[in-house]
Amino acid sequence: MTRRWQILLLGLALSVLCWQARAQAPGVRVAVVSSQLSAPHMDAAQALIRQLESRGVPRSSIQIYNPADVASIPEATQTTIKVWVALGTQAAMVLGKSRLKAPALGALVPRAAFERVLRATGHQLSPQFNVVYLDQPLSRQMALIRLALPESNRVGVLLGPDAWHRNASLRDAASANGLALRATQVDDDDALFAALQSVLEDSDVLLAQADPLVFNSHSIQNILLTTIRANVPLIAFSPAYVRAGALLALYSTPTQAGAQAAHWVLEVLAGRQLPAQPLEPDDFEISVNDQVARVLALTLDAQALRLALKQQERQP
Amino acid sequence: MKKINTALPRQLFSLLGLAGLLHTTAGWAQGNVAVSENDFLDEMPIVLSVSRLPQRLDETPGAVTLLDRDMIRRSGARDVPDLLRLVPGFQTSMSFEADAPQASYHGVFGHYSGRIQVLVDGRSVYSTYVAGSVAPGLMSVALEDIERIEVLRGSNSVAYGARAMLGVVNIVTRHTAATLGASARVNQGENGIQDTRLGLGWRLQNSSMRLGVDQQGDDGLTGANGHNRVRRVNFRSDWRTLGDTDVQLRAGWMDIDAGRGIAELHEPLRDTSYDSSFVQVDWNKVLSPEQDLALMFAHNQESYRDISPFPLIPGLNFDFSGTARNDSLTAQHTLRLSPAVRMVWGAELRRESVTSLPVYNTSEALVTDFTRLFAHAEWRLRPDLLLNAGAMAEHSSASGASLAPRLMLNWHVAPGQTLRAGMARSFRPPSEFETSGDVRYAANGKVFEIFYLARGNVAPEKVLTRELGYYGSFSWLNSNLDVRLFDEVMSGLIQVKNYDAQVDGESFTDIRDYVNGDSLTLRGLELQWAGRPWPGAQLGFNHSYTKLFFPNPPTKETLASTMPESASSLFFSQQFSNGWTFSMSHQNSNPFRLQRTGNYKQYISRTDWRLSKTLLVGRNAGEIALTVQNQGPAQADFYKSFAFERRAYVSLRLDN
Repeated sequence: MTRRWQILLLGLALSVLCWQARAQAPGVRVAVVSSQLSAPHMDAAQALIRQLESRGVPRSSIQIYNPADVASIPEATQTTIKVWVALGTQAAMVLGKSRLKAPALGALVPRAAFERVLRATGHQLSPQFNVVYLDQPLSRQMALIRLALPESNRVGVLLGPDAWHRNASLRDAASANGLALRATQVDDDDALFAALQSVLEDSDVLLAQADPLVFNSHSIQNILLTTIRANVPLIAFSPAYVRAGALLALYSTPTQAGAQAAHWVLEVLAGRQLPAQPLEPDDFEISVNDQVARVLALTLDAQALRLALKQQERQP
Repeated sequence: MKKINTALPRQLFSLLGLAGLLHTTAGWAQGNVAVSENDFLDEMPIVLSVSRLPQRLDETPGAVTLLDRDMIRRSGARDVPDLLRLVPGFQTSMSFEADAPQASYHGVFGHYSGRIQVLVDGRSVYSTYVAGSVAPGLMSVALEDIERIEVLRGSNSVAYGARAMLGVVNIVTRHTAATLGASARVNQGENGIQDTRLGLGWRLQNSSMRLGVDQQGDDGLTGANGHNRVRRVNFRSDWRTLGDTDVQLRAGWMDIDAGRGIAELHEPLRDTSYDSSFVQVDWNKVLSPEQDLALMFAHNQESYRDISPFPLIPGLNFDFSGTARNDSLTAQHTLRLSPAVRMVWGAELRRESVTSLPVYNTSEALVTDFTRLFAHAEWRLRPDLLLNAGAMAEHSSASGASLAPRLMLNWHVAPGQTLRAGMARSFRPPSEFETSGDVRYAANGKVFEIFYLARGNVAPEKVLTRELGYYGSFSWLNSNLDVRLFDEVMSGLIQVKNYDAQVDGESFTDIRDYVNGDSLTLRGLELQWAGRPWPGAQLGFNHSYTKLFFPNPPTKETLASTMPESASSLFFSQQFSNGWTFSMSHQNSNPFRLQRTGNYKQYISRTDWRLSKTLLVGRNAGEIALTVQNQGPAQADFYKSFAFERRAYVSLRLDN
């Protein structure tokens, strides 16, 4: 091949690339709708963007919107969007109510909140509308109890009226890990402490399930003081509870949630579908309150627990 | 019942013209009842900060007896002193002759029990008026309001203040968030037992409150001038202002009406009345997980009425009536200096004032100011070695400066097995009456007798405590064992000494004064087994063996038998799955001298039992119970001629 032909071919290839780039550049391909501009939401958005950028998705094709702005996105932009990401419950609700031409994936959305979105919007879980749950799978929560507190056999949970239907799946997850579940329903916040006292009477550990009726910034003082007096450790769902005085927390960080969402965004951009089943968080963290552990005469290492739990999950 | 919960307080407050305060009675979680990511991502207030973390029982610097709510309920006791019978080393009396039932640790050595500290939610409740007696304070809380009682056996002035000379009874009341709604209880039974209580808990925005009103009455000991009645009102509110600050307000009133006396010339039959009220404000701020700041202000006032005519001299009254008040301000800073060192330090300013013309021969208020500084550090030398060291310095405007240091080492020899060793020096300053009491019996301007004329030559009494302890927990039995071996050297006990003197040109004999008298050593062993060995069961066994030694012969022979050489108690309770609970306790001791029995010694053998059945009234739980106190023969109490006879009573309780 002569040198002239080589230059010609190279020029052709370059012009094809440029044409492709020109076709994509002005369009938003990934639309991220964030419920709030709080630090955790922004952490998730940043992780998502960083991950996409590292895999060659140009920053200019990723746009962050407020939920209120979704309705006013121009038709032209709508057509270029290949995938929607909702960060937070409110964003998921807005996307659920919008007529989207591309699949939408929720992140930073707890299971109960996503179920609420599905009920309110008439959507069904599908490759068009899916979620990476914020809360940890029950099997992982129970496995952590087994690992961290091998002498504990009775797991207490307090469930609000809306969460009571999870009783059966909690029981199954507990018994799969050789644990017995003691679930108590809390009908209203006035009844919380009677319920707490009764559940603590025959529980070795209290497993917190997010429910603002039960666990909120006002009730937490009494819950923690009561559980520690009863010598019953509290396993929580966020590191803030560990700072407040819970023994352990199992949770995914917003960064982890953003990164996992990015993985599925890349799949969609590569022309594949989102799964039809909801996605459990694949990465997680564990925090331990050392002072509380000392009071309960326990020795726990958060990193060792995390590695052991991961290893256990990798085993078939 | 449930509806009362919010409706009644609304009515109550509008009646009081405070309706404006009631912006809403909706729950705390109002407006945000559905789960969202915020439940996972929001910050939480720090709860178990350095000062709120409880201590493990194997790391407490000393022997501790815990009486929890279950045990309190199942014991069948109607008041705190009766509960303390089941704590090793305690002596109790049901008599009201010393104003209220008494409880003492390692002996009373006088008329009033004042060598232990009694705290109710951190507030020292000894009586300024009644010579530092803890008896009225022990009666100031209804048992339903109590979450738990922690009894620290052994000197602990460093952590609990100057009165904690021999031990501490730390009463912790229930949090208001745990007592929302209405509750009621009635006891009715033999010996005129008639107790009633109503409790009401409600919420106001981010605070919760409780009001408890109760009265407890019976005909007293057989042979005594019966009819005792205690009436109480206690209010507590917990406010959460910001995430890291909480404010608590407590206020209360109590009245003890007692029939007293033994129909003797100097102790005529009469009715006395003791009245007290208090306000307490606590402000706690979590500065960080490693630092807390707490401020407490408490005001207490007492008024006492005990007046009776002397039949032989018209116009002559025995009068011990008067009033007292005390105010206390405490600041406390708790901090963790490193993962291995935590410390608490602070100061207390306290003013006590007593006014009684008949008791102090002046209508002026007698004021004593106390300044206390304390610091206490807990240092984990090694994972298995914990050192507690601290000191409290006190200056009293009446008796000068004193220092109470303390050192205790806990060594975890093996998992669940701990040895303790330590020593402490502690003191009790004389009460106002012990320094300036001036009781003269006079009529028509003529003084017939000077009963007391204290000359103020009295210094704080002291104790040097050395102890060895063992704490073992046996998880296979769900039980623990605590053993305390002690050597308590008490010196310069504040005692009555009679003297003769010329007063205002007349000579009087047998005038009572307070001086630092006998010294003695208490040596012994206390053993405490507590556990829940099988489902529904609670089992406790205590035994104490104590011997008194006097370096010099005691001024009063009776001092040597102030407490029994050997005493035991057993508590057992079994809850059945059908809602029935049976519990029983037995207490016995070697003979010892009761408070006013001279040389007569009495042994104790008392068995109580209780059978209860839980009830469900609508959505509320309740209980009906039959309690029999002292199933066996009558026991002498306080005086030889006073007897505690069998008392059976039925109680009906509805919980909130």
